[in-house]
This record gives sequence, C-alpha cells and structure tokens, in this order.
Amino acid sequence: MTILRNFVRHVRDGFISVARHAAMSLSSASAVTLTLLLIAIFLVVSININSATANVESTVNIAAYVDWDFESDSEINDIKSKIENLEGVAHVTFSDKDTELNTVIDSMGSEDTKAVMEEYRGENNPLHDVFIVEVTEGSKIADVTSAIIAIDGIESADYGGDSTLVLMNVLDRVRFGVVILVVSLSALAIFLISNTIKLTIQARVKEIAIMRQVGATNGYIRAPFVIEGMIIGALGALIPIFVTIFGYIWIYQETGGFFLTRMFSLMPPHPTVLYIALILLGIGVFVGLIGSFMSVTKYLRWKR
Amino acid sequence: MIELTNVSKKYKNGVNALYDVNLKINAGEFVYIIGATGSGKSTLIKLLDGEEIPTKGTVKVVGTNVGKLRHSKVPHYRRNIGVVFQDYRLLESKTVYENVAFALEVISMPKPEIRRRVHEVLNLVGLYDKGKMFPNELSGGQQQRVAIARAIANKPKILIADEPTGNLDPEMSIEIMHLLEKINREEQTTILMVTHDIILVEKRKKRTITLQSGHVVADLTQGGYIRHDNT
Repeated sequence: MTILRNFVRHVRDGFISVARHAAMSLSSASAVTLTLLLIAIFLVVSININSATANVESTVNIAAYVDWDFESDSEINDIKSKIENLEGVAHVTFSDKDTELNTVIDSMGSEDTKAVMEEYRGENNPLHDVFIVEVTEGSKIADVTSAIIAIDGIESADYGGDSTLVLMNVLDRVRFGVVILVVSLSALAIFLISNTIKLTIQARVKEIAIMRQVGATNGYIRAPFVIEGMIIGALGALIPIFVTIFGYIWIYQETGGFFLTRMFSLMPPHPTVLYIALILLGIGVFVGLIGSFMSVTKYLRWKR
Repeated sequence: MIELTNVSKKYKNGVNALYDVNLKINAGEFVYIIGATGSGKSTLIKLLDGEEIPTKGTVKVVGTNVGKLRHSKVPHYRRNIGVVFQDYRLLESKTVYENVAFALEVISMPKPEIRRRVHEVLNLVGLYDKGKMFPNELSGGQQQRVAIARAIANKPKILIADEPTGNLDPEMSIEIMHLLEKINREEQTTILMVTHDIILVEKRKKRTITLQSGHVVADLTQGGYIRHDNT
C-alpha cells in the first residue's frame, strides 16, 4: 500500500517536474530524439542486412568436382561420406556428369547448339561428377572448400568465388559498426539527460535538503528524478517511433519489398516495425533511467 | 538521551572544530548551547544529526552510535531529530499546511494520519487558521513557528533549534521561547537550543553549555552565563 502510494506520488512529481522545466526537458528529449532517429535508421538497415546476409549465406553452395579416375560407385560413396563427415557441412547432393550435361544442354537456347552438344554424351562427356555441398554457416565456406579439395579423388572445388566472401565480410563489418554507433549514441544521450537532471536537482536543492533533514531515504529522494529522466527518454522516443513505423511502411510499399535486387528482400513491416518501436522505447526509457540515476546518485553519495 | 564521550572532530581541511568533548543530556531536558562563531556549535549539531562523523570518541543518541551509522541507516535515524534553523527553510511554493505535510509525506505516512497530525501541530504552534497561506504572507515569527511545526511533526525525540530567534525581534523571540517550552512540556521533546542571545539566556534560565574554540568551558545546570576574563 505504502509502495503504491509512494509510486503514484513519484510518478506525479516526475510529470510535474517535466512540465515545470518544459524547455529543459524538451531540449534533452530532442537530443534523445536525434539519437534514437539515428539508431532507428541503423536498426532498420541492420535488421535488413541481417536477413539479406542470411539469404546470401543460404544460397551459397560449394561445387566439388570428382576426378575422372574416381567415378566408380564405391569411390563416389566413399568421397560422399568423407565430405559429409567434414565439420560445417550441412548437406551433400550428388549429381553425375550425365545429369550435369543435361542441365547444360537444357540451358542452351537454340536447337542447333543443342544438337552439337549431343555429341558429348556418353564416353565423350568432358564434365565431371559433382557434389553440391551446403555449409552450415557462410563464414565456414572457405575452410570447408579447402578441406574438400584435400580429399582424395576430388579434382577441384569452388564456391562462387571470393566476391561472395567479400560481401559477407562487408556485411559483418557494417553490423559491427552499427553496434558501436548505437552504443556511443546511447552514451551521448545518457550524458545529455544526466546534465538536464543535474539542472533539475539544482532547482530543487532546498527541497532535497529538507527531505534529508526530516529523514527521507535516498531512494525516496531519488525516485522522482529517475522517473523524470525516464519520462524524458520516453518522450524523446515518440517521434523516432512514429517515423520508423510510417517511414518503413512507406518505403516497403514504394520499393515493393525489394532493395536493388531480388536477393535483398526487405523484411515485411509487420511485425518488424513493432519490434523496432519497442526497442526504441526501451532504449529511450533506459537511457533516461541511467542518466538521471547517475546524476542523483552522484549528488547524494557524498552527503550523509 | 544524548551522550558524547571524548569526542573530537577535525575536518579534512585541517580545521579542528571540537576537542575531547564530554556531554550528557537526559530525556526531557531543555538545554542552551552558547558560544561565539567558530566555537564548534554547528559541528556539534552536525555530529548529532549524523551529517558528520567524529574523528575520535563516540556520539550516542537515543541508543544509536551515530558515528558508526551506515549511510543507508542515517535517514531513519534522523527521524528521531527535528531541526529548526535561523532562516526557517520553508518551501516558498507550498502552503503552510503543505510545508508541514511534506515532512510526513517523505517518510511515507498515510494521508489521513498526515492530515490529523498536521492539524495537531499547527494547533500547537498557534497557526491553525494559517494553513492555506504561503510562507511569504507570514511574519518572521509565524514562519519560524511553521518551521517548528514541521520539525516536530513526526514526533522526534530531540529538537535542535539552531539560533531560532536570530532573525526575530525580542518580542517575537519570547513568543518562540514560550512555544519551545510548551513543546518541551507537552510533547516531552528534549530540546537543544543554540543561541547567541545572552539576554534571553539570562532571562529564562535553563541548563547552559558554553562552547569556546571547540572546548566545553562551562556547563551550568542552574543556568545563566559566566563572563570569562578573556571574553
């Protein structure tokens, strides 16, 4: 009962204080807004990059070509089980050279060329038997490829070249950069809020002194300031939340759900924007809590 | 009630405020503490309400060793002690009623109880009809009475009055004295009154402790002020 009564009182005091220092609250809330807007953009980009990376990774396979001297059934089975036992291998599919040739012939446009290609059926087939290997993680693709090449009876293996790997590397770095930026922007917002709360404290030193004199606990003195900080943080999150929700839905509709190519499909707005909105609100409130808690605690700590 | 044993206080900046002070004040006493500026009066108050820790010796108040008190325990301990200052320290934006109620709100007293107690103490200090007024609408003496009402609202065992009559004319001072005596009598509150007002001390004789440069130089139970050769 007491806890509830105090809570209501602190929340009321927090709101009153935000309203009383409207200009100050607004200025630090707008700092939070700016920070969260940037975070929102990065979140949208990063979530989509994440799904794009996952897409790219899932489409990248290794083609392992079997040496012509190892084409008997037992040899093929032997090689297949060796590949399957490698670390990082998810799935192995065998395709013999006749099937491969069929694929090639089918892909030819004109009937003339197809007729020419027919010459290579049977003994004259210049192609190799092939294992199509799927990896568990895109990052392991280079290691798995070299391990496959080392197997007896494998002539060569490749995975669509280094460009795939470079792309994945870049995406990884972007992800890392986003994390760093979000963390440092949050730190900036914490600093700004803690400064605002410091000013609020200065405006209420007399009140705090009296509270101490009559025996209010530090937690009781701290509560309205912390709530004020959280309110400022939440206020700052409002604009970024609406911008994200409506902005993302608009972008999704304008682009038809794809960015540049089919490979980079955008995440559908629902429930993505709701998650982002929650994350933004969470960051705003948390940043407000940390910022205000820091400055009140600093103020209260050295006094008995 | 209050017991200081071999208490010395040296501040971090090297200032020695109190030397080897021994003092015992019983429950229900009304004591004057007099002394010139820098004699250690303020330090004594700070030691009693837990704001400062003695460098040496022990300060025991209502059975609590104040110097050994953990930071988190200080607020609860402080509810035993009411303090009144020369400059009243009222919140200008709150009414008389709210100023007194504030002291009870922050220690989480239920609302109906707050209402009852505020009316009780405003009655005691003779400001029952002034509850809705703001501090700046009151005279100095009335403001000081509000401050006293706030200090005794949560029934502290000890009331420390730091120069309560310092800003008031002699007539008002006597009024405040009457009030403090009434609180001492009716609420059984132990009262420590720090003052400069020698005339008052001579007129309304009570136990008087004289501090000089951090030493207790006189402690007269019969009251009155001894003029030393060097003062």
